[in-house]
Amino acid sequence: MNLRKFFILVLLSVAVCASAFSQSVSVKASLDSVNVQMGRMSTIHISVSQPEGYKGHFPLFSKMTENGIIPICGDSVELRYPVAVDSVSSNGRLNIKLDIPVQSFDSGYYQLPPFDYVIAKDTVRSNALVLKVYPVNATADTPIGDFASTADPADPSFFDFLPDWVIDFWWLFIIVILALIALIYGLRKYRKEGSLLPKKPEPLPYDVAINSLRDLKERQLWQQGEEKEYYTQLTDILRKYLYGRFGINAGELTSRQILNRVRANKEIADKLPYFKQILSMADFAKFAKIRPLPEDNIQAYDNALRFVEETKPLPTAEEAESTEKKGGDK
Amino acid sequence: MNETVNIRELQDLIASKSNFVTMIRTGMDHRIVGQKHLVDALLIALLCNGHVLLEGVPGLAKTLAIKTLANLVDAKYSRIQFTPDLLPADVIGTLIYSVKKETFEVKKGPVFANFVLADEINRAPAKVQSALLEAMQERQVTIGDNTYALPAPFLVMATQNPIEQEGTYTLPEAQVDRFLLKVIIGYPNKDEEKMIIRQNIQGELPPLRPLVDPKEILEVQKIVQKIYIDEKIENYIVDIVFATRQPAKYGLPDLQSIISFGASPRASISLALAARAYAFLQGRGYVIPEDVRAVCLDVMRHRIGLTYEAEANNISADDVITDILDKVAVP
Repeated sequence: MNLRKFFILVLLSVAVCASAFSQSVSVKASLDSVNVQMGRMSTIHISVSQPEGYKGHFPLFSKMTENGIIPICGDSVELRYPVAVDSVSSNGRLNIKLDIPVQSFDSGYYQLPPFDYVIAKDTVRSNALVLKVYPVNATADTPIGDFASTADPADPSFFDFLPDWVIDFWWLFIIVILALIALIYGLRKYRKEGSLLPKKPEPLPYDVAINSLRDLKERQLWQQGEEKEYYTQLTDILRKYLYGRFGINAGELTSRQILNRVRANKEIADKLPYFKQILSMADFAKFAKIRPLPEDNIQAYDNALRFVEETKPLPTAEEAESTEKKGGDK
Repeated sequence: MNETVNIRELQDLIASKSNFVTMIRTGMDHRIVGQKHLVDALLIALLCNGHVLLEGVPGLAKTLAIKTLANLVDAKYSRIQFTPDLLPADVIGTLIYSVKKETFEVKKGPVFANFVLADEINRAPAKVQSALLEAMQERQVTIGDNTYALPAPFLVMATQNPIEQEGTYTLPEAQVDRFLLKVIIGYPNKDEEKMIIRQNIQGELPPLRPLVDPKEILEVQKIVQKIYIDEKIENYIVDIVFATRQPAKYGLPDLQSIISFGASPRASISLALAARAYAFLQGRGYVIPEDVRAVCLDVMRHRIGLTYEAEANNISADDVITDILDKVAVP
């Protein structure tokens, strides 16, 4: 055998071996239904049988768009990404099954190209398929009836009515609602109390009256010839004290009415002479342009002071106890 | 006490002249049982040169009160019974042709008296009411070409019956305002009623002797004008009157829907005048808030308009004024 014959023999052997390998791989394609209505889906079943240990692929899938569609037949037919892939090994062979949804929106008769399967640098083709797409029988008068329209959920919940952006930002809504509640609470408090800060405890009527009387004495009004102002302030202090301490609305009562109310109040009825002197002098000074004598002014002040001191509220048991403790600590 | 104004002198003057008040009160007590408020109102009107509108059911001594006052003051008294067919000439007078003298003579009407009782004033038509009210205001009457002054003192006491409204002509607000006081008189109590019975069944009462000269009243009226009203009292009066106009500003928002119109400036004037007269009756030469409160109801009740809401809720002008007095700060 010469060298030329030897090379031919080797080449033939390789070719025979390659042909034998390719023949050991089979790719078959079939359709669920050859006839399909426009817009409806059918399924292409592809089954691959190959020797175990080899890895193959369908180059067709590399043409897939971002939407997962593989256009074929001049974009008239659309293949979808395989919905089911199954592989079974048995007796040194691997059987792969793929289900590829197929759909078309153009009526017509289509010959689907064979599916190439590349394995070990060899390409095996499936059989070709035929797909007939029927148009939808619809006119302006007879709309498509068998396509279900969008329907409300059978049992809608509260969240079904909310826009998606509300659901996405639920935490923001909770913050806004809490802020609104805080704002309303703050406004109501401000309207009621005139301040957002916690209210300071009201000073006792006794303390207010004593401080006001001291202040009045320091101002020396009657000594400067301002008897009218002196008695106006003196009676105002007493009126406020009567209201704060005994609930007698003396601000809107005349002198006689105040005397009647004091007389009727058992707690202070014995203090009536103080009021008689103060109010009679006050009426003279305030309404008659009469300047009372200095001793009358002093007496009126002393009577007012006596009245406030003598009606000073007794300390409660707790207050007395705390005072005792303070004394003991010292 | 030191005095910067002559209050003491005024006090002495009041003390000397207020005797007539005691005499009139005593005289009226002999004839009228109870009704102290009515007597005081008549005296206040007399001292202020004002007029009184009286509201009360028949038989409450309205006529007797003014008749007694006229007798005690030695003044001329006349009574006009207002009826639907009354004419202005029946009140103020008219010109009558004298065949003998062949000329028109003035026939003065009953309004030419010191004390006039206009009985059931709301029974006469508006033109007659208007004629009397004009005479009350102007204190003069024009008959023909001549104007005649009415005698002084001149006091009209008009009465209204609150229970019979059929066939009556309600006095317009503008004319009611001309009465210084509107006094509502009620029934006497049991003891007073017993005394009324005894007084009326014992036979004819001895005639009243005049105790006061009309000139004396004119002098007293001048004294009353001198009674001192401090600015604090003026402010108090203004506050009360303004509270009828803008109650919400005085802490009475509920009255906003109750009052249809508030008291006029004439109310402020009348309140000051009546308070001064009341102070005189108390023997004081100056006015205190007590005096203002004492006369406030009589002065104000006919000067405040109430809404239908008030009527529906049975709220009277007296209720409104009482609320205001309880809310306005006393100086």
